[in-house]
Amino acid sequence: MFIARFLARRLLQGALIVFLVSAVIFTLLRVVPGDPVRLMAGGMAPEALIEQIAEEMGLRDPIYQQFGRYVWGIVQGDLGQSFVRPASGAAVGGASFDDNTRSERAEVWDLIAQTAPMTVQLALLSMLFALIIAVPIGVWGGLRPGRFPDKLALYLSSIFVSLPNFWLGIVLALLLSVKLKLLPAIGYGGFAYTILPAIVLAIEIAPFIIRTLTVSVAGVMRENFIDIAAVRGLTRNQIIFRHALRNSSVPLLNLLGVQFSMLLGGVLVIEFIFDYPGLGLLTINAVMQRDFPLIQGIAIVTAAAFVLINIVVDLCATAIDPRLEY
Amino acid sequence: MMTDPSSPVAPLLSVRNLTVVAQSEGVSRTILHDISFDLKPRQILSVIGESGSGKTVLARALVGWMAPQLKITTGEILFKGRDLIRDKSFASGLAGREIAYIGGNPAGALDPTMTVGAQLVEKLRAVRPEISGKDAQAKAIRLLEAVKIPSAASRFHEYPFQYSGGMMQRAMIVDALISDPALLIADNITQPLDVTVAAQILKLMRELNEEFSTAILFICSSLPVACDAGNEVMVLHAGEVVERQASSDLVAEPQHGYTRALITELPTLWANGKDGRDDRQDRNRQAIMSVRGVAKFYETRGKAGKAVVQAVRNVEFDVFPGDNFGIVGESGCGKSSLMRLLTGLERPDAGSIIFEGEDVGTASPARLRQLRRRFQLVLQDPFGSLPPQSSIGDIVEEPLKIHGIGTKKERQDRARAALNEVGLGDRFYDLLPTGLSAGQRQRLQVARAMVLEPRLLIMDETLSALDQTEQGKLLDLFSRLQAQHGFTYIFISHDLTMVRQVCSRIAVMYLGETVEVAPNERMFFDPGHPYTRALLSAAPTLEERRYRPEDCLLEGEPPSPIDLPPGCAFAGRCPHAFDRCYRENPALVSRGDQALAACFLLNATSTAKATADA
Repeated sequence: MFIARFLARRLLQGALIVFLVSAVIFTLLRVVPGDPVRLMAGGMAPEALIEQIAEEMGLRDPIYQQFGRYVWGIVQGDLGQSFVRPASGAAVGGASFDDNTRSERAEVWDLIAQTAPMTVQLALLSMLFALIIAVPIGVWGGLRPGRFPDKLALYLSSIFVSLPNFWLGIVLALLLSVKLKLLPAIGYGGFAYTILPAIVLAIEIAPFIIRTLTVSVAGVMRENFIDIAAVRGLTRNQIIFRHALRNSSVPLLNLLGVQFSMLLGGVLVIEFIFDYPGLGLLTINAVMQRDFPLIQGIAIVTAAAFVLINIVVDLCATAIDPRLEY
Repeated sequence: MMTDPSSPVAPLLSVRNLTVVAQSEGVSRTILHDISFDLKPRQILSVIGESGSGKTVLARALVGWMAPQLKITTGEILFKGRDLIRDKSFASGLAGREIAYIGGNPAGALDPTMTVGAQLVEKLRAVRPEISGKDAQAKAIRLLEAVKIPSAASRFHEYPFQYSGGMMQRAMIVDALISDPALLIADNITQPLDVTVAAQILKLMRELNEEFSTAILFICSSLPVACDAGNEVMVLHAGEVVERQASSDLVAEPQHGYTRALITELPTLWANGKDGRDDRQDRNRQAIMSVRGVAKFYETRGKAGKAVVQAVRNVEFDVFPGDNFGIVGESGCGKSSLMRLLTGLERPDAGSIIFEGEDVGTASPARLRQLRRRFQLVLQDPFGSLPPQSSIGDIVEEPLKIHGIGTKKERQDRARAALNEVGLGDRFYDLLPTGLSAGQRQRLQVARAMVLEPRLLIMDETLSALDQTEQGKLLDLFSRLQAQHGFTYIFISHDLTMVRQVCSRIAVMYLGETVEVAPNERMFFDPGHPYTRALLSAAPTLEERRYRPEDCLLEGEPPSPIDLPPGCAFAGRCPHAFDRCYRENPALVSRGDQALAACFLLNATSTAKATADA
């Protein structure tokens, strides 16, 4: 009963958020300079042809009309077609105006559906690596505030957070792929290609997790019920693993939700460096090609993912701490 | 039977020459000095001491829960003959199993994210792993029933935040007793509870002592409670045991000067005869504050959807110039919500609050600010209610600045004068409030309130955070200020002895309603409402009680203000309730001589009298 009402309310809110995001993106894309038709048709195409194509595609209609058409399409599950990419799968569309492959442009939905699983795989793996690095360090630091483990946690996260990810990516690729030949680095040809970018991303996220955990574990350890637990006869392991960690996991959960959403939406630099065929790389190319429908599609899908992840995080947090239902 | 000195029973707990020292920044201070005492099996020993006497340190030293800066320098704590200080593994094996501890703050004592039941089972199985989960659950539910938690089997699955303070303390008693310990250390367990609930907890503890034959070390700061709880009382003063006697002998023939002072200082409810501060004001003049049918509702959203909390339902009283008006009631009765309404911090949903002819409830914000010059509020918490970064002088000047009164020089002079009047001299003017004691902070709050020269001061539990001696000093200050400035006071309090000493007229609140409004002596010697009698019966005092708890109060706690039953809100706990009480809600009726009460029994008796007269 509670869950049904909670889901109904949150999904409605989410739909509103996604609608607003798409409205903003749609408007912004149409007011920035740069004519996509010129890019599509090629620099040599005559002005009249460009106007004709633009008219045909409805790009000269008022923005609200274009947006109405677009939203109607989304409701029917149609994110539109890429301006640039042909269905054949080539990365960049025809260079000249009379290229006949242009008529079979790729569906945006298909483009996203092909790349999103790659990004999800990368995001999940980097999350896993980050947790493996951060949880022991963070918890240890939180249990001994002000002492060596706490300082270690602080210094380590300072180092991690100040490593630029593009630099770290390149250095690790040089070290692990080129010199030691342990891991493949560029492109995608199997699961092994995900490991290196995931490590780089994990090191980027880990400091936030370490910091959150040290602070929240240290906070929980000062609580009255932890002090009293030993007097009540609980063992130290019970106190730490059943009570302290459980109570400090709610802030961590919220952080993980935000981090995961960010990983899904914007690992642009890392995917670009490693030429990893995920959503990030797709976004970069779409932006460079002024591929409006694709940019919009990615924005809407990531916004929806963001909303869903937040709902899941809040449900998990409520399951851990029932006071949050109120 | 348990205190027979000739009995050859070996002591269960035997503390010998225990000395505890606090070390901070190279300075060491003795907290406990050379403490020695014995506790026999099944005995209840009360330990009493004021704050700072080291009683909590003693309790925690016994269970091995010491702050890092505290060190036991000499002495031994023998449990069944073995020393807990030297034999650490023996001590930790006993924790929670043979030696149980209950603290004074039940609110934070359990993990908020796990059900109470799961934690009781977890504790029992941690100390007695041989018990199966099923048996542990059965035992926990049985004990929850024994401490009179209503519908224990379903409450077992609820979370700590769903328990009230009184229920949580009962749950902690279950937590302590579930492993059948030989010794229970109860550190100030009734302090955070309301008097009626505290009285129930004490009764319960004595019953459990007989039923489960647990020895109890009962530590508290109130002499009446200590004498009530234990067979013997040990008095702790400045870290030393000054005397130990059977409860009745201690009051009759105190041996040590400190105990004697403690007993003489203790304010009484009835012992000094009927005269209280019952100075009557002329009730034919205009009242300074007149409250009529005031109500306030809050909407909450819970699991079951929206609910309306009826915080204040029907409050009526008049305060006349020169009155010391008291508002008493237990926590959750709507005292604080009422304070927010009286001071215009919130608007009532019904009724009117007339202050000197103007309605505070409907005044415009600008008008309200002007009115506030003439009525001021002094809050309960001495630490949270003063800005830590402002100097004491600035704090007192601020109200003058807000109301745009005087030049800078004049404001400073008035602030200094106000500070001097409350007993904070010139040297405090430029200091920050950080170093002030709780009593000094309350003086500062009074100075801040009176610098505007108001006509009415509303004191919301202003004295609750202070100990007995400091309370007395502030009360003297209040009456001096009243004589000099003609203040009228409204004291909002849960402390009946304070109200008995100070107030001329008292309103009793129960679940958002004024159930009785009466002059001081009438209220203490001839209360008109059964709830007032219940409150008086539960008040901690050494005197012969005029009202016995057994006659006046049924078990249980006030119902939640969310789903109030129809009829009289007190009916469920009232020993005299009859049919009509469950159907209709009685209104305040006059009992003559300026006393009012809301109870059908009054109508019944007065009608009975009337028929007898006729």
